[in-house]
Amino acid sequence: MNNTLKSNTSKQLLWIAMAGISMFFAGLTSAVIVRSAEHGWDTIVMPEWFWYSTVAIVLSSIILIIAKKQVRKGISPTPYLVSALILGLLFSYFQVMGWNQLTAEGKYFVGPGSNPASSFLYVITFAHLMHVLGGIISLLVTTIKSVQVKYTKENYLGIELTSIYWHFLDVLWVYLFIFLLVI
Amino acid sequence: MTNILIVLVALLVVATLVQLLRVGELLSEVKNQDLNKVTEKDNKNQSIIMALAGVLFLVSCVWQYMSWNHLMLPSASSEHGVAIDNLMAFTMILIIVVFFILHLILFFFTYKYRKAADNDVAFFYSHNNKLEYIWTIVPTIVLTAVILYGLNTWNQITNADTSDSAIIEVYAKQFNWAARYPGEDNTLGPHNYKLVQGTNALGVNMEDETSLDDKVTREVHLVVGKPVLLRFRSQDVIHSAYLPHFRVQMNCVPGMNTQFAFTPTQTTSEMKDQEGEDFEFVLLCNKICGVAHYNMQMKFVVETQEEYDTWLSGQKTLSEKLLTQN
Amino acid sequence: MSDHHKETFITKYIFSIDHKMIAKQFLITGMLMGILGMLMSILFRIQLSNPGESFAVLEWFLGEKWAPGGILDPNMYLSLVTMHGTILVFWVLTAGLSGTFANFLIPLQIGARDMASGFINMLSYWFFFAATIVLLVSLFVETGPASAGWTIYPPLSALPQAIPGSGLGQDLWLVAMTLFIVSSLLGGLNYIVTILNLRTKGMSMSKLPLTIWAILITAILGVLSFPVLLSASLLLIFDRSFGTSFYLSDIVIGGEALHHTGGSPILFEHLFWFLGHPEVYIILLPALGIVSEVMSVNSRKPIFGYKAMVGAMLVIAFLSFIVWGHHMFITGMDPFLGSVFTFTTLLIAIPSAVKVFNYLATLWKASIRFTPAMLFAIGFVSTFITGGLTGLILGDSALDINIHDTYFVVGHFHIVMGLSAIYGMFAGVYHWFPKMYGRMMNKKLGYLHFWVTFICAYGVFFPMHFLGLAGLPRRYYTNSAFPMFDGLSDINEIITFFAVIGGLVQLFFVFNFFYSIFKGTKATENPWGSNTLEWTTPIERIHGNWPGEIPSVHRWPYDYSKPGAEKDFIPQTEPLKEGEIEH
Repeated sequence: MNNTLKSNTSKQLLWIAMAGISMFFAGLTSAVIVRSAEHGWDTIVMPEWFWYSTVAIVLSSIILIIAKKQVRKGISPTPYLVSALILGLLFSYFQVMGWNQLTAEGKYFVGPGSNPASSFLYVITFAHLMHVLGGIISLLVTTIKSVQVKYTKENYLGIELTSIYWHFLDVLWVYLFIFLLVI
Repeated sequence: MTNILIVLVALLVVATLVQLLRVGELLSEVKNQDLNKVTEKDNKNQSIIMALAGVLFLVSCVWQYMSWNHLMLPSASSEHGVAIDNLMAFTMILIIVVFFILHLILFFFTYKYRKAADNDVAFFYSHNNKLEYIWTIVPTIVLTAVILYGLNTWNQITNADTSDSAIIEVYAKQFNWAARYPGEDNTLGPHNYKLVQGTNALGVNMEDETSLDDKVTREVHLVVGKPVLLRFRSQDVIHSAYLPHFRVQMNCVPGMNTQFAFTPTQTTSEMKDQEGEDFEFVLLCNKICGVAHYNMQMKFVVETQEEYDTWLSGQKTLSEKLLTQN
Repeated sequence: MSDHHKETFITKYIFSIDHKMIAKQFLITGMLMGILGMLMSILFRIQLSNPGESFAVLEWFLGEKWAPGGILDPNMYLSLVTMHGTILVFWVLTAGLSGTFANFLIPLQIGARDMASGFINMLSYWFFFAATIVLLVSLFVETGPASAGWTIYPPLSALPQAIPGSGLGQDLWLVAMTLFIVSSLLGGLNYIVTILNLRTKGMSMSKLPLTIWAILITAILGVLSFPVLLSASLLLIFDRSFGTSFYLSDIVIGGEALHHTGGSPILFEHLFWFLGHPEVYIILLPALGIVSEVMSVNSRKPIFGYKAMVGAMLVIAFLSFIVWGHHMFITGMDPFLGSVFTFTTLLIAIPSAVKVFNYLATLWKASIRFTPAMLFAIGFVSTFITGGLTGLILGDSALDINIHDTYFVVGHFHIVMGLSAIYGMFAGVYHWFPKMYGRMMNKKLGYLHFWVTFICAYGVFFPMHFLGLAGLPRRYYTNSAFPMFDGLSDINEIITFFAVIGGLVQLFFVFNFFYSIFKGTKATENPWGSNTLEWTTPIERIHGNWPGEIPSVHRWPYDYSKPGAEKDFIPQTEPLKEGEIEH
């Protein structure tokens, strides 16, 4: 299979996978919409930490865009990939801190302190984080390959694919964040 | 020991089949024929079998209807049930006609157009847009009629006027039913699942005065010709209240209140005259609910106002049952 | 050019990335699971027609615990019904049907060396294999396999106290389904990308065989609907194992008031059926595609109305997303919603009818060759008509009131899925066996298989409509608890009679299949005189499919008995002659 074809098919495989993942979150968010229309729905106050994590993930996406620009110019993108990876790890850390903040405020996942809104909040952010972990692994592999100078300005498919998935996680998070804010 | 025998028999059957097939293969070799080639003779035979099978199939459908029609539910014992039965008859006749016509075409074509001789050649005909329009538009028109008729009936049933309805709560649990009548104040007392305990099987809040005159029964009695609104609750899992003779069905969902309104039109004794002494109206569970799902039933009785009054006055109120020593 | 990697037994037969081998892995796993699923139905049918009577065979298969004294335990009855449904809907009719034919046919029919990603394809099978193991393990747990129905509605499926099968058995079921969904998604990705990108020169979308169109549309349906089942299952897993209240509220069970409040079981139903309905079209569409192919080749005529057939499949796929509520008419949902779903459900009858008419038009003035595959294709049309028509009754909300969850529904869905879709699968196996294994299946056994199956299958499922109209509910361990059903025992016995014979005759098919792999008469390259590309590959089957260049395509696949041609078929690789009109 030649490089252009491989590039096209890999990207399409990724896009369709992302469509599937979106449907998974669509299922969860429709569940929230249906439930929130009924009685007993407590609006959630978004923990502060989730604002910080939003900044982290948006920043990391921007840095990945720069990384791609660099490799197109023939410059090593490694420092940018490393920065994006660190921001990704920070995002994960902030998410966990956010959950801690929620439990400290008495909003639990299960049990007497819980209510449907808090349960859903945990499930949705947990599910998203699981997908982010996949993105982090992908970013890690890409970073290692970049250190080994495996990418050239003609062929940086790995960086492209990682970026596409990462931007997807970013946009997905922003959607979920805004959704959970307004619901 | 038996197990070994069974395995041996199975192996023997397989070995026999293998030998039979080998014989067939050798015979074909001897006759210089291709064992698995489909010949014109095959086409002729199969098309004849197909035509026969087709006719047999259609005849068997008619036979089944004629043999088993008397086992179908008797005509509806409720007002809306009559509307449902009419809609059913209309739709059934429609689909039965289509079923027969399409099958006759199918079996006729497969018989007539078999390749039984060398000059049985197919006619190269790839499409006809006009035909596509016709057989899209005609079903659309027919289905529109079916849809409108169906929605009209559905509307009638679900938007029934319940302002005069007698309200009865039907309570489902693994694995029986109970009913609660609202009593003189015509109001069912409030309930809370945390209050379910011992004799208070329905979790009724006895501190509220509207609960005191409620009556919990193990049978439901209805007055013929009077509208009733059944309100459903469930204690544990999803059940479904199915009253086939009245054409009533509604899920009973824990955490939710569902309801169904109808008016019974025939008394139990009228039905006994019609269907036999053993007849009873019955409520069945119709949503898988556990090991005894197949045996969750409650008797429904439709009677005159006087009979009903007599029966109801003989039932104890909740305050009598739960709040006084007896 | 074909790959020159060194092959070991492991890379050839086990962890293969060759689509043809992966297809066969799906087929054989599907077949074996199918035998298991059918066996389960025979066991519970025996109980249904002879309640309370002792049958040694029940104890032989289920052991003393679940069939003491040869009488089926009521909990095991519900387990058998649940596992039968799960195995047949997902393992046989989804993985077995799509997994086999999508994998086998896509590269061959579009002219590609293999799928876009052989690795993802291989993963797709091994996730399926893992799912199978987990599901099989669940059969042996102490509290029994899952038993809340294949539709696993909570609270019944969430609470082990409600039914034993909702203990470990249900946990394993959910794990197996998660693995299964991943498998399905991985497969679907490949199917879509391969069809869109790896078509050979000249293979435009309008020259694709209808089988490929069907598989493409099916894959898109799967990618969009299976993930929602995943979200539904995830929330159920949380309710079961972590005490959340997504689906549970106000429950008293085993004498105990549970802490759950605020949940809704109906939420599960919405999420489940959002997959559940497209799922039945995921099952049906590949069968429709296969039948189009088999019918055309064996009628020596183009499939009638190619564009209309594609259009009808697209409309069916689109509508399939907005009809799910017809499974929920009597859940107490807003009656207006009920009206909407009746409307959309009855609409779906239109493209389905169009397809039936096109099949009949294909048979008109045809020159029919009755191979076993063709017999099953014809059987498909018959059962699709029958089952489709009863769908009109069930889709009408007012009529559904009295027949929901009765044997009327059981008859309907078995005729469309258990008969139509399976017939499509059988047609596909008989038709493509020569290409899969280089040998022919035995014709006489094929005829025997078809006729006994056709007669017995209708004998099992047609009478069920009468049982349903008599008010008999489904999933009942026995009908003897209600005197009103006493008159139905004759019908039940007839059904079981046909079920046992119909079930046993499938063993002839299995025998034919495996015998022919080793001893079948050697096939020629194109035994059916078909136009599609797979029949231009060598009989011995190689990696990369074609030994030299991949052939280019010059025409659509349906030039059969074209006037002016030498033979009654013109392969897609034949260039158009001077002045020849396309079609």
